[in-house]
Amino acid sequence: MVELERRGIPTVLFTAQTFVHDAHRSAASFGLAGLPLAVVPLPFTNQKPEDVHRMAEAAFDQVLAGLSKAVEVRAVERPPLEARLAYEGDDLLDAWGRLQADFLKRGWGDGFPLVAPTERAVAAMLRGTKRAPGDQVAVLEPGFGIATVEKLAINAVMAGCGPQHLPFLIAAVRCLAEPKMYLRNKAMSTGPHAPLVLVNGPKGRVANINSGMCALGPGAPSASNTVLGRAVRLAMMNVGHTYVGFSDMDTIGSPVKYSCCCAENEAESPWEPYHVTRGFAKEASTVTVHFVYGICELHDFRSTTPDDLVRVFATAATNVAQVGTGLWLIGRRADPRSKTEEREHNTLFICPEHAQIFQKAGWGRRQIQEALYREARLPFKTMMLNKEPQAMAAAHPELGWMHDHPDLPVPVVEDPGCFDIAVVGAAAGRGTYFYGAGEPVTMPVED
Amino acid sequence: MARLEILNPVAKTVEYSVTPARRPSDLDGLRIGLYWNMKAGGDAALDRTEQLLRGRFSKATFRRYTGSVGFIMRHCTAEDADRIASEVHAVVGTTAD
Repeated sequence: MVELERRGIPTVLFTAQTFVHDAHRSAASFGLAGLPLAVVPLPFTNQKPEDVHRMAEAAFDQVLAGLSKAVEVRAVERPPLEARLAYEGDDLLDAWGRLQADFLKRGWGDGFPLVAPTERAVAAMLRGTKRAPGDQVAVLEPGFGIATVEKLAINAVMAGCGPQHLPFLIAAVRCLAEPKMYLRNKAMSTGPHAPLVLVNGPKGRVANINSGMCALGPGAPSASNTVLGRAVRLAMMNVGHTYVGFSDMDTIGSPVKYSCCCAENEAESPWEPYHVTRGFAKEASTVTVHFVYGICELHDFRSTTPDDLVRVFATAATNVAQVGTGLWLIGRRADPRSKTEEREHNTLFICPEHAQIFQKAGWGRRQIQEALYREARLPFKTMMLNKEPQAMAAAHPELGWMHDHPDLPVPVVEDPGCFDIAVVGAAAGRGTYFYGAGEPVTMPVED
Repeated sequence: MARLEILNPVAKTVEYSVTPARRPSDLDGLRIGLYWNMKAGGDAALDRTEQLLRGRFSKATFRRYTGSVGFIMRHCTAEDADRIASEVHAVVGTTAD
């Protein structure tokens, strides 16, 4: 709508009451804080047409006003941007408590206690990179926040990171900022998009990123994983301005959003490291970020053949309640400004024991991907249960014939390459299926 | 008394500014675009809005739009915006929830 206003076209936008703050902030980010809204009490989704009609009728005067009354250009709310903040208390612990309370009041924390980013702590953090504090790493959506090395270092301190983690955070932020990541969509969505951070290469081992037992935490072996994943979330918040209630509209939220980070267990993988499949040299160190919704365990203590394992894994993949399942039928996630498109990927963490079963039978990643692609199918009518038929008509007019074949088995993803596979964890036959949102992005970890 | 001084974690932002479009004095006789991003229910809202606008402005005409890219939500590209801007005088949209 802002782009139409820029072109001289008056607009008005229906917006549910819950999303008014979000709409104002989004419009302000794009440069027009006073974009006219026609506010309705509820989202139109999941409403009967007659109920939607009633809401539209009740908001009609707002539609008329939006199109005919001059727009009042509002001042944009800005957080305080003074370089330093100070807290006083009876002692330092008391002052730190006031910091916690103030940060939560401002929306700057994730809910857990934060490490105080003192000048000394941040200076120590900055020794983890050769980059200058003022270097701009990226601009992060949805707030178009300027991610300097120093701002990332401050948030890394708050998360509990050490200097050895900062290069990984910088790489992760570069992943977030890739146009193909379409961060705006994932940060602001009503869906629980969580950045899964996967580390590959020797630097991850030096930084103690756990790839083995309980790699996704909690626990002491995964301390580095926990704080690095947390730093990514804090950077999304305080650098990208992804704040609950006006730029993170997640309906329920997810514990995965606090921190979700581990390394690939390259030592126990029978295959080349995951980052090699992404075009990097084996000796390179990388961070991959893949936004994911939910997690499903891949439990199987019985299977001894690849085909049996794939059949079990496919049951996790055929969950139509997950938004990405069969999403290709109605198009691709796409950033309208960069016009990049993403296929919907899902990430599988396969434990070393299961990986050995595949390897002994001569299977690599490609064979697993192709077998899953064949096995993970649902009837067309089931796949379309929660999808808009008009969206399918717009995305795939050539597939209209499918409506005449409701029981046709349809693959859950666009092609076999949409299953990303990494070996993670310790002994025992348990893996993890991450229902993904769009494509992963990988960046090198640089000093 | 103790004092804890810390560095501000919040990043400055890139600022954009857009001048809002001038509003017409009368919608009658204008061509009005109805933009749906394909989120469920938005089309029904636009259906009813079109009926109400037709009832109020008998000479107004209407065009329906959606974005050329996207999935659950279809988005408007710069080219879409150029085309819409060249074809209508005002737009009612359902793009948010």
